[in-house]
Parts: sequence; structure tokens; C-alpha cells
Amino acid sequence: MGAIVREVRRHWGYPVVVIDDCSTDDTAEVAYAAGATLLSLPLQLGAWGALQTGLRYAERNGYRLAVTLDADGQHEPTQIGTLLAPLLAGQANVVIGAFPSRASSARRLAWRYFRWLTGLGLEDITSGFRAYDERAIRLLASREATLLDYQDVGVLLTLHRHGLRVIEKPVTMQPRLQGVSRVFKSWWTVGNYMLQTSLLCLARIGHGRARDRRTHSEASGWN
Amino acid sequence: MTYQMTSMVIGLVLAATILWLVRRDHLHGPYAVWWIGAAATVMVLGFFPSIFDRLGAYLGVSYPPMLAMVLGFALLLIKILTMDLERSRQERQIRRLAQRLAMLEARKPLDSDGPDDRTQSPAP
Repeated sequence: MGAIVREVRRHWGYPVVVIDDCSTDDTAEVAYAAGATLLSLPLQLGAWGALQTGLRYAERNGYRLAVTLDADGQHEPTQIGTLLAPLLAGQANVVIGAFPSRASSARRLAWRYFRWLTGLGLEDITSGFRAYDERAIRLLASREATLLDYQDVGVLLTLHRHGLRVIEKPVTMQPRLQGVSRVFKSWWTVGNYMLQTSLLCLARIGHGRARDRRTHSEASGWN
Repeated sequence: MTYQMTSMVIGLVLAATILWLVRRDHLHGPYAVWWIGAAATVMVLGFFPSIFDRLGAYLGVSYPPMLAMVLGFALLLIKILTMDLERSRQERQIRRLAQRLAMLEARKPLDSDGPDDRTQSPAP
């Protein structure tokens, strides 16, 4: 954890924010000691709730872009540039660092199912290695995105509905140094996740690309 | 004991319990209104159970107690649904509050010579 924080700071010099979702060990302290700003959640909010905390912090501090990395060492700080390039060129609002071949065949099957269900043409929907621009930060920090539980399908559908462009860039990833995937942990969790996400997709059918006036008017001023 | 006495006792006990809870401030405003209404209904129906017989005959229900069951069940379903709506609303508020708290209690890194100290966003 400390290594990730130090590496990001060394390579990029951006402020690093670590969100502590009620961790029971000293991970948060290690990150803080390595020079990160530490946001400690008083209640465990889960993966997306923690991520959104970071995005709200970015919004509040007026950051114009945000990059998210998992804390388990999967994502290489050196590759942040790959994600930032299309964002800075104005090609997309969100760039996902995709590494589809890391997945097991079962997981790939799940992805294909969600691709089919959502109609989103993305390979690696669960990747947490992403870059968001100002518009995406503002949308995802809003109340509308608060009741989502996972960062993948629900978030992508929300972005899509508001007409934000999401693209993928291939990156290489490390095998997880620590921890296991929260989603693909047990069959019960997987089933629950599949059911909830499917329901979310079905509930959003017909929601289409109904842009709301707020983000649309802002979009015109965006360059 | 007659059938009317039984229903009277049930109605009275329920209504008294609800009134007591509201009186003791265990029920928050809007819920208290719903439950006072429920208590009143239970009382009236407990004292005059024949209401359902007449209502059933009017609506063409051949077995009136079933009408009571169906109506009661429907009301319960609606109540539970509104409870889950309320819970979702609260969940959203709780999450945002927790996030706000985390932001307010943000711990900035101590070393001021690091690049982290930039207050400006990393401008493209």
C-alpha cells in the first residue's frame, strides 16, 4: 500500500487520496505515512461508496481529473499516462484501463452476459483502474450515483445515460499482491451480484440516453 | 364469549398499544398518523365486525371474512413497500453523510515539501 502511494507520488506528483473503508489493519496509517491524504469512512460503505468519497473529495477541491487505483497493487502507477492521454485530448470523459486476459473464463462469461444485457461495448467492465474528467467526477459525485453498490455496470449505465463517453485502453496489470476480489469471492456473493446487476440493467431499459438539461448545458461549455 | 367480544378485545388491545407508543414518543410524526388511523380502524371493526358482512354483500363477496383478509393484506403490502422506499432514501442520506464526514476529517500529509501540497488541480 505504501509502495503504491509513493510510486504514484514519485511518477506523477499529483495529490494522492486514500479512502479507508473501515479497514481493520494498519493499511490506512501506512498510506498516510507514505504521504497520502487519508479519508476515513465512519461506516463501511463498500467498494463504490468508498470510491465515490474520493470523487466527491475531488469535486469539492476543484480537481479537474481523477484517477482511481485499487489498493491491492494490481494497477501500475506508471500506466496512469495511458489513461490520461485520451482524457486530456478530449476523446473521452472516462477512460478504463482494461486488461481482459486477467480474468477467469467464468468471469469473462459474466462480462459477456452484461455486455449483452447493457449493450455497452466494453471489454473489462469491472476494472477499477480508471480516469475521470471533470464532468464525470461531477456526475458520479452526485446523489444520483450514491445508491449504486458496484463501480461497474451501474456506474457505466449512469455515465451512458448522461451522454458521457467511456472508452477503454489496454494496460498490463500485476497479479493481486494482496486481497481477493470482493465480487468474485463466493458463489453466494456472485449470485447476489449477478441478480442485483441484472435487475439494475432491466430497470434501466428505456432510460436510454435521456440527457438531463443540467449536464447538457454544461457540456456545451466544455472543451 | 361471543365472536363480537373477541374482536372487541383484540381491537381495544391493539388500539391501546398503538396509542401508548405514540404517547411515549416512540413513533415519529408521519408514522404516528398512519398507526393512529390503523388503531381507529381496528377499534371500529372490532366493535362492529358485521361491517364486513354488509360490505361483502354489497361488493358481491360470498365469504366476507376473506374480504377482510385481502384488504388487510393489501394494506400491509403497501405499508411494507413504503417502508422500503423510506429505507432506501435513508440509506442514500446515511452514505452521503458518512462520505461528508470522511471529507471533513480528511488527514492531509504532514510533509509540506512534497508535491502533494499543491492546492491547485493538476492542470492539463
